[in-house]
Amino acid sequence: MFSDLLFRLRSLFRRDAVESEADSELRFHFDQQVEKYLKSGLTREEAMRRARLEFGGHEQLKEEIRDARGVNLIETLFQDIRYGLRILGRTPVISCVAVLSLALGIGANTAIFSLIDSVMLRMLPVANPEELVQLRILNPQRPSGEGNPTFTNPLWEEVRNLQSVFSGVFAWSSTQFDLAQGGAVNEANGTYVSGDYFSTLGVRPVAGRLLSESDDQRGCVGEAVLSYGFWQEHFGGAASAVGSAITLNNHKFEVIGVAAPGFYGVEVGSKFDVVIPICAAALFDGARSRLDQRSWGWLSVMGRVKPGISSAQLTARLNVISPQIFLAVPPPNWEPKDQENFKKRVLVVTPAATGTTYLRREFQQPLDILMAVVGLVLLIACANIASLMLARAAARHKEIAVRSAMGASRGRLIRQLLTECVLLSAAGAFLGVFFARWGSSLLVRYISTRNNNISLDLSFDWRTLTFTGAVAVFTGLLFGVLPAFRSTRVSLTSAMKGSQATDTESRAKFRPGKWIVASQVALSLVLLVASGLFLRSLVKLVTLDAGFDRNNVLLVYANLQTAKVPVEQQSAMFDEIERRLRATPGVLSAGRSIITPVSGQIWNNFLEVDMPNPPTGEDAVANFNYISPGYFETLRAPLLAGRDFNESDTKTSAQVAVVTESLAKRFFPNVNPVGKVFRSHPETGKTALPIEVVGLVKDAKYESLREENSVTAFFPITQVPEHSEAQSFELRTAMRPSALILPVQDAVASVSKAIPLEFGTLAQQVNDSLVQERLLATLSTFFGALALLLAMIGLYGALSYMVAQRQPEFGIRMALGAPRGSILRLVMRDVIVVLAGGLAAGACLALATVGVLQKMLFGLAPHDTFTFVAAIGVLSAVSVVAGYLPARRAMRVDPIVALRYE
Amino acid sequence: MVHKRIELPQGTLDLLILRTLALEPQHGWAISERIHQISSDVLLIQQGSLYPALHRLERRGWVKAKWGTSENNRRAKYYELTKTGRKQLELEKDTWNKLAAAVAQILETA
Repeated sequence: MFSDLLFRLRSLFRRDAVESEADSELRFHFDQQVEKYLKSGLTREEAMRRARLEFGGHEQLKEEIRDARGVNLIETLFQDIRYGLRILGRTPVISCVAVLSLALGIGANTAIFSLIDSVMLRMLPVANPEELVQLRILNPQRPSGEGNPTFTNPLWEEVRNLQSVFSGVFAWSSTQFDLAQGGAVNEANGTYVSGDYFSTLGVRPVAGRLLSESDDQRGCVGEAVLSYGFWQEHFGGAASAVGSAITLNNHKFEVIGVAAPGFYGVEVGSKFDVVIPICAAALFDGARSRLDQRSWGWLSVMGRVKPGISSAQLTARLNVISPQIFLAVPPPNWEPKDQENFKKRVLVVTPAATGTTYLRREFQQPLDILMAVVGLVLLIACANIASLMLARAAARHKEIAVRSAMGASRGRLIRQLLTECVLLSAAGAFLGVFFARWGSSLLVRYISTRNNNISLDLSFDWRTLTFTGAVAVFTGLLFGVLPAFRSTRVSLTSAMKGSQATDTESRAKFRPGKWIVASQVALSLVLLVASGLFLRSLVKLVTLDAGFDRNNVLLVYANLQTAKVPVEQQSAMFDEIERRLRATPGVLSAGRSIITPVSGQIWNNFLEVDMPNPPTGEDAVANFNYISPGYFETLRAPLLAGRDFNESDTKTSAQVAVVTESLAKRFFPNVNPVGKVFRSHPETGKTALPIEVVGLVKDAKYESLREENSVTAFFPITQVPEHSEAQSFELRTAMRPSALILPVQDAVASVSKAIPLEFGTLAQQVNDSLVQERLLATLSTFFGALALLLAMIGLYGALSYMVAQRQPEFGIRMALGAPRGSILRLVMRDVIVVLAGGLAAGACLALATVGVLQKMLFGLAPHDTFTFVAAIGVLSAVSVVAGYLPARRAMRVDPIVALRYE
Repeated sequence: MVHKRIELPQGTLDLLILRTLALEPQHGWAISERIHQISSDVLLIQQGSLYPALHRLERRGWVKAKWGTSENNRRAKYYELTKTGRKQLELEKDTWNKLAAAVAQILETA
């Protein structure tokens, strides 16, 4: 095998020597033969003649020798490439259009795939990631599903102390820290980790040391590890950073080391700035430390399975230790029945080699849909290039005929044509990779919101590059095969005669062109329908009446715990801040609440009412919010009946509530809810006080714009059951909301300079909740438009070609007296047939496939008639225009000019 | 002059060339002459098949080529059997004999 290759290569690289050797070898044979004939008595002339006759074609024989030596395969490839480049260079505009549309198509595919790769497929950049598993808690009452990944600290401590199947196990929790000491918040991404975090993951320090088990003990002082990026950004990578102090939520932490570059944690899509031990949570929490809370789940747990332990053994071991673990830490405030169920829970694991991320849950489906969309766009681009190649092959009709007359085999010609196609797609792929780099980082920025700054490793790995390479070859063959096979099927005589193709022949030649254009129309229709559906969903969501006016509202989030304000003073201080904010110039009205609309946060509870057939189960759950009297006015949520809260609703006055229409309809059907009474589900050991409904407001979206019924009960913020250290202010202004930020900072600072403040606008918050919908609508519309453009170029090109081919025929028809209009009709009939076929196929395809989009839509069914009609209308209109231009050219054919060529 | 020619079955040419070279190294012309003579003028090897075959055998490593001087003092390319070529010759001879015997048997008895 190897010597064979060497032999071929020698033949290839010492080509001239081998060539001349073959020449003299054959020459020698020829001379010997001549001499033999001379000896037998022939004249020299006759001897030469006979030898030459026997010998046949000298060049042909040499070609066969080359073949035998195995030179040809490699050499003709180079030949084909050189020749292909020359041919492509001869029509630079067409080649550029082809390469560019391929680059767009391949680039879009690569961009989406690299996102899928980095979110779903890529291994964590740690030692032996395949050994990592994430621990989950399976509730035997809900055995389906993969279990709940959230652990309390007491539960985690039991797991750590009792387990024997992991060589290392660690817990972590991501959070935000404020680096500033009061005033505007300077946010840093923080992670609480247990002592074994770094050692289990196999991460090394680049400076100082990392946290270890001895650093994560109850009562620890503040120690922090920085990420490499944060170290570079804030300390310029100085060694003196180790030992210096940073402030996290107003507490001092000593920097003990810096983690290695490239390590971003175990959550894909986010990165950490600082890491502190779990024990440090007690520093922030004060008396109610979450370290001892048995119902405060905030940790995630991962383990590294010991080598040699099978997954069956792992499950068996976890089943054995689970009862001990859960028996030890039941939440004391739970009902006895729930506590019993708690003790029956079981630990299970899921593979965690690729880390964990909420992005998978949220973006899996949009990314899959986008992958399909860009796949279709690439198909349409391929179809375009295929018809381009067909047209060009027709133009090269004579060249191909000459080559096959000279003895080129059909396979050889097909290989040549396919090489040209693969050259095109390789150039497209090369350029596409650059598009993809730019496109995928653009996409990540697009799906990042203020609260979720997504950071993904988008560098191309082998998987993405393989994907791109495969796509390039596949597309090259896809658009190359049909033209290559068709165009090499030439009839030599007619080609050599040099006449224009006859009428029937040109019709036949246009047939594959028709098929290609019809399939482009069909695919474009599918894309247009999909983008129409997404666009309409988004428009419905954006223009929907949310029940509040999101414009010109500044949100200010303040945390008094971080400001170290004593609990008993917090309520008064919030009141004071609200008073000052209301008096700030530029503020039209101000309100305060625990939860802001569509923030993703939820506070809910069960309600009990004294009505016949009260709602039960999940239906009895209502959303809660605690608000100040200015809240409804500031959000412009209209009060329909009863009264708003006022100064007389205090902590000690009678408990009151304002409810939404949906809540009233569900809990107090067919009666006036004002004056009615309900109770919320009490904590164990407490009796629930009756709460009187004093007002009714219009439904306002609570958690997301997609929710159907907003079953919400509002309570006076003075009547919050426990204190709440973090509250939000809503400020309505006539100005740009951001113009209020400085005056608000001054106003809050006049109360206390230590209070950390976060700012946002309500409009932005609502917008951020629609990331998925906007992503799908924008991208599918963009790609839909691109598909439409490509399909129209295809239609235009195919028709122009056909018109050029049939020019003599049109000339004859006109010379014989056909009116120009009939020529136009002739061409447009072709357009209509192709269009109708494409639309029918596309509509069937769309009807069959749009069902999968159901979940991503809002306010309309996948088979939305308006969308279908609109998509068909747009496509038809544009097609008729694209078809009319060449048709008009056909109509204007001058019979004399056309016939002269015949 | 009309040759009474018989078309060689596929693959037999290689066998004949190998066999001819088994005696001594030869150049292409001499190989075709010898086959012609030994077969009593029945087999005439065309240059069009001889040279591709020789180069193919060279690529497979069954023969090797070197330049030498011919009887009439001209530079000629001589082909020589290699060790693997010799083994191949035995193998192909064996196969051929079996084939020929089988064919003969069928022709006589059937």
